Amino acid sequence: MKCIVCNRACDKKGYCRFHKKALQNIVKSYPSWKKALGLSWEEYLNEISENSITGEWAKEVVKHLIKSGEK
Amino acid sequence: MGKHTLIITEKPDAAHRIASALTEKGKIKEMEDNGVPYYICRRDREIVVVPALGHLYTIAEERKGRNHYPAFNFRWVPKHSAERRISKARRWIETISKLADGADTFIDACDYDIEGSVIGYCILRFACSNKENISKRMRYSTLTKDELELSYNNLLPQLDFALIEAGIARHEVDWLYGVNLSRALTIAAKNWSGKYATLSTGRVQGPTLMYIVTKERIIRSFVPKPYWKINVRIQLRHSVFEAEYKKKIERKGEAAAVASACKEEEGKVRTIDVREFQQKPPAPFNLGTLQSEAYSLFGYTPNRTSRIAQRLYLEALISYPRTSSQKLPIEINYERILNKLKDFSKYRKLAEELLSKSELKPREGKKIDPAHPAIYPTGNKPETDLRSSEEKVLDLVARRFMAVFSESAIKQSMRVHIDINGHCFYLRGRRILKEGWLTLYKPYVRSEEILLPPIKEGQIVKIKKVILEDNFTKPPPRYNPASLLRKMEETGIGTKATRANVIKTLYDRKYIREEKIVVSDLGFEVLEVLEKYCPSVVSIELTSELEERMNKIQAKKEDKEGVLVDTVKMLKPIMEELKKKEKIVGEQLSIAIRKAKLEERIVGSCRVCGTGKLMILYSRKTRKRFIGCTNYFEGKCETSFPLPQKGSIKPLRKNCNRCGWPTVQVQRRGKRPWTLCFNPNCPLKDERRKNR
Repeated sequence: MKCIVCNRACDKKGYCRFHKKALQNIVKSYPSWKKALGLSWEEYLNEISENSITGEWAKEVVKHLIKSGEK
Repeated sequence: MGKHTLIITEKPDAAHRIASALTEKGKIKEMEDNGVPYYICRRDREIVVVPALGHLYTIAEERKGRNHYPAFNFRWVPKHSAERRISKARRWIETISKLADGADTFIDACDYDIEGSVIGYCILRFACSNKENISKRMRYSTLTKDELELSYNNLLPQLDFALIEAGIARHEVDWLYGVNLSRALTIAAKNWSGKYATLSTGRVQGPTLMYIVTKERIIRSFVPKPYWKINVRIQLRHSVFEAEYKKKIERKGEAAAVASACKEEEGKVRTIDVREFQQKPPAPFNLGTLQSEAYSLFGYTPNRTSRIAQRLYLEALISYPRTSSQKLPIEINYERILNKLKDFSKYRKLAEELLSKSELKPREGKKIDPAHPAIYPTGNKPETDLRSSEEKVLDLVARRFMAVFSESAIKQSMRVHIDINGHCFYLRGRRILKEGWLTLYKPYVRSEEILLPPIKEGQIVKIKKVILEDNFTKPPPRYNPASLLRKMEETGIGTKATRANVIKTLYDRKYIREEKIVVSDLGFEVLEVLEKYCPSVVSIELTSELEERMNKIQAKKEDKEGVLVDTVKMLKPIMEELKKKEKIVGEQLSIAIRKAKLEERIVGSCRVCGTGKLMILYSRKTRKRFIGCTNYFEGKCETSFPLPQKGSIKPLRKNCNRCGWPTVQVQRRGKRPWTLCFNPNCPLKDERRKNR
């Protein structure tokens, strides 16, 4: 099975180890953004997808999350 | 004609200096044989000084060809027989052999370190017909006349065989790793794609790439978190200073509330904390710290600094630079060097001040090197015009040398607690109370003073402005060549002589790019293959362990054969595994190579559509090259620009400093490269037109 984002081998959730780590970081950072700005999950994803500091892999996962509407 | 003494040096410049220093009777004779220079001088007897050209011998596989692995059988051979475009080596070896025939005394005067010892040993053994056991050794750290004469008069009775053994072991182990792993990668990719591309890795290269990739992974999966900083501008007498809120704030609402509470308010000075501290002089330079300082001050890569330092050494202006030592032994004669530095007008005052001290005692670092002291200036004046880069490094070494003899600087830091409407802000100041060593190292000191006017507790200050700053947490900074070199040093991988070259190889192989190092897709894939199929090859622990074992050979606590046998034992199953998985490894690497080649053609982001990338493309009809947007293929953007058709074009990955568009470098053969901004409306173009 291949990663949803790239061509690497992946786990059951569909992410390779690198995109899985990026997903973990996305999930882990959400409480900080919620506390800071009171953002919803969707708003948060949009914010970090436009932030220039967000890493390339994290942005790829965000793009996929926005597209799939996954919560 | 009687027999002569043959002295072998590592480089031609060193040979000339040694001959000039040792001659007692008349001028030296500058000779040439088959394009190889050598020098004859007379002292107690006739001395012939002949240079090598670095390594004249290398390791080669017993079996011919490069399209197979594993390769565990090797021997030492003349360099020209193993490598292409090294025809000079043949002439050099022939001349040295000829001169050795007429000699009865042999002296190895190559640099006194691992590489120099191996160079001298191989020449004495192979080119001079086994003279390694009767050869004497010259040991010196500068190419000054005094030291060379002293070294000649106090020759070491034999070569340093432990150092040679360690050097040979290092070469052989590195060869086993490098040849086997690099061949496995290259052959796998070639067999899968049918196209040849050089891929390499090695004992030190793999773990170094590992460091960079580990950081790149953190950066690529990084998600920032927001926080806010509040600064207030405060009027103190006639100047404005900035004080910062006591902490970072993690909620926008809270930050806005604090900022609004401080608007149009006055502040009151609650407390003033004053702290005095000493800043000791820095330690003298070793190669690593010199490379690091030259990078941060002048932007020179470690490799460039190493080359500059080597040239300064060969000009007898500084001591031997490939040293780990941070010690300056008393034998180098501090006073004599300072007296010589006094002859330079820019150092006169500083040197005089140091010489007036009752005792000259350097501040030293912890690191030691049994072969050489820390880097110091000889105090000699340059005999030829130096390049500006050489002048800068020489000045840096000279000032650092003087600074280590000076006193500590005394600094004062001040933290003023200002209360604004119940909120605590800190105003910080710092000043130098006593300059000490900073006077000597002044041009290179990077700390700015913030001088606060006299201020009292209870004083009321006026707030001019409140600044609320949006901020985000940042990923760890990328490595640059200097910080990567420091990391290698800290973890003990590679040697002082090889680290800078390993970094250069990673750039040459296109595994990494840019000054703030970014890993390419190819770099990622190579490391992934290594991590997956041979994790021990990129293991930092195992590499440091092996490094330690090789150091033990030098200390005569381990033997070379044991290390080599263990290396082969470790590599054998790895090579078998790689052979089994050759197809899958080849596919992975070939895709990465293709991507890397595409990556090389990307010049930057498209400023018209904002989402595509501008790329160097070739017209199918005319085969002419041009810049086009990658979104063209999806029918979204038709941006394109013409390119010059002659010469080579390289994306600079830097934007034009006038219009912000990406730029490329164009270079025609025999001409200087020039930067091209392909924005037709760039204001720079108009200005140039007008200037014409």
